[in-house]
Amino acid sequence: MADGILLERAGLPAVSICTDPFALTARAMADAYGFPGFEYVSIPHPVASLTEAQIRARVRDMLPDLLRILGVE
Amino acid sequence: MDASFVEDAVAVRRAMEYYADQGWTDGLPVVPVTESYLAEFLAQTSRDPADVLLSMPQLNRACTVRLAAVNAALAGCRPEYFPVVVAAWESLAAEGYPVKGIWQSTTGTAPFLIVNGPVRERIGLNSRGNVFGSGFRANATIGRAIRLGVINAFGLRPHELDQATQGTPAKYTCCIAENEEESPWPGLHTEFGLSASDSAVTAIIIRSCVHIEARHTRVPEQLATDIAGTISRTGALIHETISAAVVLSPEHARLFASAGWSKPDIARFMYDHAVRTGAELAAAGKEAVSSKTRWRLPADHPDALPVALDGPVRVLNSPAAVLVVVAGAGNAGCPPWSRRSGRAAGRRR
Repeated sequence: MADGILLERAGLPAVSICTDPFALTARAMADAYGFPGFEYVSIPHPVASLTEAQIRARVRDMLPDLLRILGVE
Repeated sequence: MDASFVEDAVAVRRAMEYYADQGWTDGLPVVPVTESYLAEFLAQTSRDPADVLLSMPQLNRACTVRLAAVNAALAGCRPEYFPVVVAAWESLAAEGYPVKGIWQSTTGTAPFLIVNGPVRERIGLNSRGNVFGSGFRANATIGRAIRLGVINAFGLRPHELDQATQGTPAKYTCCIAENEEESPWPGLHTEFGLSASDSAVTAIIIRSCVHIEARHTRVPEQLATDIAGTISRTGALIHETISAAVVLSPEHARLFASAGWSKPDIARFMYDHAVRTGAELAAAGKEAVSSKTRWRLPADHPDALPVALDGPVRVLNSPAAVLVVVAGAGNAGCPPWSRRSGRAAGRRR
């Protein structure tokens, strides 16, 4: 979240990606950076133990959300 | 308790509920803090209230001397404990892990504070019986002062920025004094260049505290092997290797010392004997190491570096990864070491 917010503030469009169990933490981090309501993509947990095919599926699933937050038409 | 005291108690209770409602506690009641009470704490140090003791750039937050004092007072410290609290924060900053964000980690670590020198007696820090347990205000509240500072200065609250999966009871408090009086070796602080007459706090970051039951032997190698076996438990291994603080009871320390062992000898033994075979690690799925994170994982994981399963694997990366401290009571009934009795190892009489 911190990286996403700092990149946005530096003028680089960015979308943060977190897994669902970290929703509260993600919001707290956005608050700590003075950016409550910072929009991010939340995906199912876990990621570290996924196979490559499962990772690709996660990316496909999150892509529409990610593009929407980036403002891609 | 007379009536006027009870009247005050109502006001105190109202204040405690206020602090709880604000989320400024660890779940236990805190002591109400006024500016004049805070001033008593700040008077105990030559540091400026605005001085930063520990900062976390990733959160853009810092714990100043003033914030440390507020939280020490909330925790129930007496003002004269405050120099120890300040030293604990300084030691935690020097330790390095908290600054890098370990207190936000799912691992759920806690600070472990070890106090040496004359300040122990001066403020009544317990170094003897029940040293990790309850019952001593200085131990209880100095450790808690750090926890409340972590919560209130950095906002590291559970379910928010503190992402601990389970945490540890040490998060309430974990502060001991070394039992220098019953230790056969110089105090821990002298290993860092301080003199025995200095007072000091050594802070380390722990994930857990494991009790070792060992009153069966008078052979130092057997006792050391028992300790090494606990250090090398597979459940401790997240990275390739670990570190350990070994807190010996005075009897165990004397057993080692009377057999001629120094603290570096013990650390060296742990380094050599805190080992697992490749097969034991494989049985727990921790035989390989990730090429990316150096975390342990099974050999068939796509990130796993090639691994040979024959031969012992050290779980400590150097003897310096072992800290040896002496604390607790000399009452466990451990058989003393002697040249003659050394042979009757492990036998009950």
